[in-house]
Amino acid sequence: MADQLSSMIELKNIIVKFGDFEALHNINVDVKQGEFFTFLGPSGCGKTTTLRTITGFIEPASGTVNVNGQDITHVPIEKRNIGIVFQSYALFPTMTVYDNIAFGLKIQKLKKDEIDRKVRDIAKKVDLSDEQLQKAVSQLSGGQQQRVAIARALVTGPAIICMDEPLSNLDAKLRVQLRNELKKMQRDFGITTIYVTHDQEEALTLSDRIAVFNKGYIEQIGTPNEVYNHSKTEFVCNFIGDINRIEDELADVLHLDKNQNHFMRLERIRVNREAQEGEVQIPGVIENREYYGLYIKYYIRMAGQIIKVIERNDGINIYEPGEQVSVGIHPRNLMSYPKQ
Amino acid sequence: MSVLNKKEGLKLNASLIWKVFGIAFFVYLFFGFMLLPCLNTLTSIFTVKDPATGKVDPLVVIRFFLNGSMPEFVLNSLKLALCLVVTVNIVGISIVLLTEYFDIKGAKILRLGYMTTLIYSGVALVTGYLFLYDSDGILTTWLSGIFPGINKNWFSGFNAVLFTMTFACTSNHALFFRNAIRAIDYNTVEAARNMGASPFKVLLKVVFPTLIPTLFSLTVMTFITGLCAMSAPTLLGYDSINPEIVRLAGSSVADESFPQARAALLSIILAMFTILLLTVLSSYERKGHYLSVSKTKAKLQKQKINNPVANVLAHIYAYMLFIIYMTPVVMIVVFAFQNYPALRSKSLDLNQFTLINFFGSQDFEFMTNRGKYRTREGAISGLFANADTVGGIRLSFVLSAIAAALACVIVVVAVNYIFKHKKKKRAIALEYALLFPWLLPTILICYSYRTYFNSTDVWYMFGQNMYMRENVRFLIVMAYAVVKLPFALRMIKAAFYAIDEELEDAARNLGASPLVTFLRVKLPIVLPSVLAVFALNFNALFTEYDMSATFQSSYGKSYAMVIQNMCHDEGRDGYNVNASGRRCASTVFIMLVSGLILYLVYGVGARDLGERLERREKRRRFWRKITGRAAKDAPTAKKA
Repeated sequence: MADQLSSMIELKNIIVKFGDFEALHNINVDVKQGEFFTFLGPSGCGKTTTLRTITGFIEPASGTVNVNGQDITHVPIEKRNIGIVFQSYALFPTMTVYDNIAFGLKIQKLKKDEIDRKVRDIAKKVDLSDEQLQKAVSQLSGGQQQRVAIARALVTGPAIICMDEPLSNLDAKLRVQLRNELKKMQRDFGITTIYVTHDQEEALTLSDRIAVFNKGYIEQIGTPNEVYNHSKTEFVCNFIGDINRIEDELADVLHLDKNQNHFMRLERIRVNREAQEGEVQIPGVIENREYYGLYIKYYIRMAGQIIKVIERNDGINIYEPGEQVSVGIHPRNLMSYPKQ
Repeated sequence: MSVLNKKEGLKLNASLIWKVFGIAFFVYLFFGFMLLPCLNTLTSIFTVKDPATGKVDPLVVIRFFLNGSMPEFVLNSLKLALCLVVTVNIVGISIVLLTEYFDIKGAKILRLGYMTTLIYSGVALVTGYLFLYDSDGILTTWLSGIFPGINKNWFSGFNAVLFTMTFACTSNHALFFRNAIRAIDYNTVEAARNMGASPFKVLLKVVFPTLIPTLFSLTVMTFITGLCAMSAPTLLGYDSINPEIVRLAGSSVADESFPQARAALLSIILAMFTILLLTVLSSYERKGHYLSVSKTKAKLQKQKINNPVANVLAHIYAYMLFIIYMTPVVMIVVFAFQNYPALRSKSLDLNQFTLINFFGSQDFEFMTNRGKYRTREGAISGLFANADTVGGIRLSFVLSAIAAALACVIVVVAVNYIFKHKKKKRAIALEYALLFPWLLPTILICYSYRTYFNSTDVWYMFGQNMYMRENVRFLIVMAYAVVKLPFALRMIKAAFYAIDEELEDAARNLGASPLVTFLRVKLPIVLPSVLAVFALNFNALFTEYDMSATFQSSYGKSYAMVIQNMCHDEGRDGYNVNASGRRCASTVFIMLVSGLILYLVYGVGARDLGERLERREKRRRFWRKITGRAAKDAPTAKKA
């Protein structure tokens, strides 16, 4: 899908320095019109710095930021037409919800009637009632505050919206609920979205494409399936999802190339199943078991190492610690990278 | 493009002008009103001519100091400060333990009584105590009725000063100590009890060690307060440093040897002590405090005193203190509504209830030296009917309001700059410049102003003698503002820390300029704290005595100075009539003003927008209910 659409944001050879420290090394990103694009990575990897470079809070040492083909590298923040939803939402505590949303419109010196119409329109779209508009932001729940932040970012009609870990302050249940709402809103508005997160699950569920950051570099840009199942680098493979590293003894059993590091996803390993073509069956002993309800995670000792395996919980095939099992591994499911 | 450039150029020029103006203002403020006057005081000690030789002798004042009686003033101040540390700590710690830690019956009422000195302090408190304990005070009159041989002047000198200052200083001491004791994790107390420690051992080994840093800070601050004491020693007659500086400042060379240089030396000695103590305090604070490592802190629960004898003794002690705190307050409030004869005779008569001490006036008949009766019209006047008192109130109100506002404006602008340029040398320099007055005793600043600006040679005052006539009011405002800068800085800086940096980013992203962001986003957030600082500074300055006493100018006769005059002989030759009544009324008035300010600051000011909107909604509902009922009742009434 991404290839068919026109380019909306283009980062070309971006380098950002803080004093002598180079925070971003030659970043190149191309975000398409209407795309939900996520910057994913651990803390301090440069994802927020990249976002702040796009929004204009940070000026790059070199490189250009283009939006719709226009160079905006040196355009002031307020003239970039980019909406931001901050990590803390940054809602003005001394203003009502209405005044928070209307702030940008008032700065634009629109007429009172127009401001009122626009505020109420956007409030309706993000499901905020008239009564809620008159409240102080401190009187709203976390989810409602997030909606206010989105409404405030969208009301001025920006071409792009940037979100900096907007779900990180919420509890797990609300995070999942709002994640779905966020995706729905983005689809409804059809607005190009850049989303920053360190949560791989959030990135995988929300994004059209993901850029995985590490130490100021982009390791891989791809769809959720690409970065999960076809991780380009060892870092991406380790960072996204849980994974088993195949040690030398097991690698020998599987006849793998010793000049490479090999990894395997937990759900690709099968326990006590009929062998498939090309699959290697290895005996193992259940060391430990973690019960998650929907699935069960086993720690199996085999070929001199512990392998983690996820099995669907069918209520019948549940193995006890100490039980002998047969573990099926297919070498085609392995992800291998040259040793560094 | 050229239009754009022109606009950008104009913007740049405007910001440059503001920047230059700002730097010039702060340089002017720091050098003109902090550094130069104080340096002048310092150098004046070493530029005095020896009367014997007529030549400048840098050490003549110091020699005079060492050979004369001046060290006595220093020793007296040190003695007062040391004793005050002991008494304030004993009373301060015990009132907090009695109301917060031990289970004492009526603790809430006791706490209210102990905290009365928060709204009844300074010169009002001293004159209040005098009203009770001086030679013709209520208690002294009552005691001399029972014991005719009693020394009627018993309430004067060191003991009286120590007694008065102990109770004047403990409310602040208790306020901080209470916060520290409330921060204790009760689980640590339970853990110690669980391991077999007695309640006394828990207090000594678990609770007190965590309070030591707070106690150390409070001890140092109390010591400085004792050292710099002014109103109590002046009014109760104790020869300490500050009253001596004021006396010397008003003295002339004809009366005694180089009085100004001696006053300067005393104020510098005071400054040296203050700087030394604050250095010790800050180095101790840098070592860090005991912090609770508990993730789920438990609220402190009151401890029962199991020993019945100890329990009774603790209750007796608690209520004794309560009586000491409350008696002057109750007496003053009651006598504020008594007429002149009742006040003169110090006899309470509920039939003589009157508002004359507040409003209105009466004629006063008195006997002259020649034995004739004369009448002075309107001599018995109330607080708001006496020209002198009203003048003092008005002047104090205006000067305090201007100074408190000035301090807030200066600090808000400075702190905004400091936060914008965090960790940059110029921001650090600005912060230290604003904290500079904290190192100096108030009297040094005021005395320095008085001497330095009492000349037409100060070039940046454009040939004006700022100590002459009404000009002195400008000096008082500047002294008030400068002295309050460090407190304002600490409080307002703390408020700025509460501003999420993302708010500024959000406002800028939504198109707001730095000025609009400051005015519409940041300022409303810090405004409650700024207003609180304004109110607290205003409250402190409104009844301030030390500074206006140092200026000793009839053009700067503040409310506190007027109150002090009310303590002079009353009614002699028909003058100063009903001073006691006005004194009582003044104290009631000050308590009301302070109480109102504290309520506005800690009650109303502490509410956030959500709480305010909720309250507004409640009021609306209430009115709707009433008006709805009225509307419903109206047709019924018509029908009837």
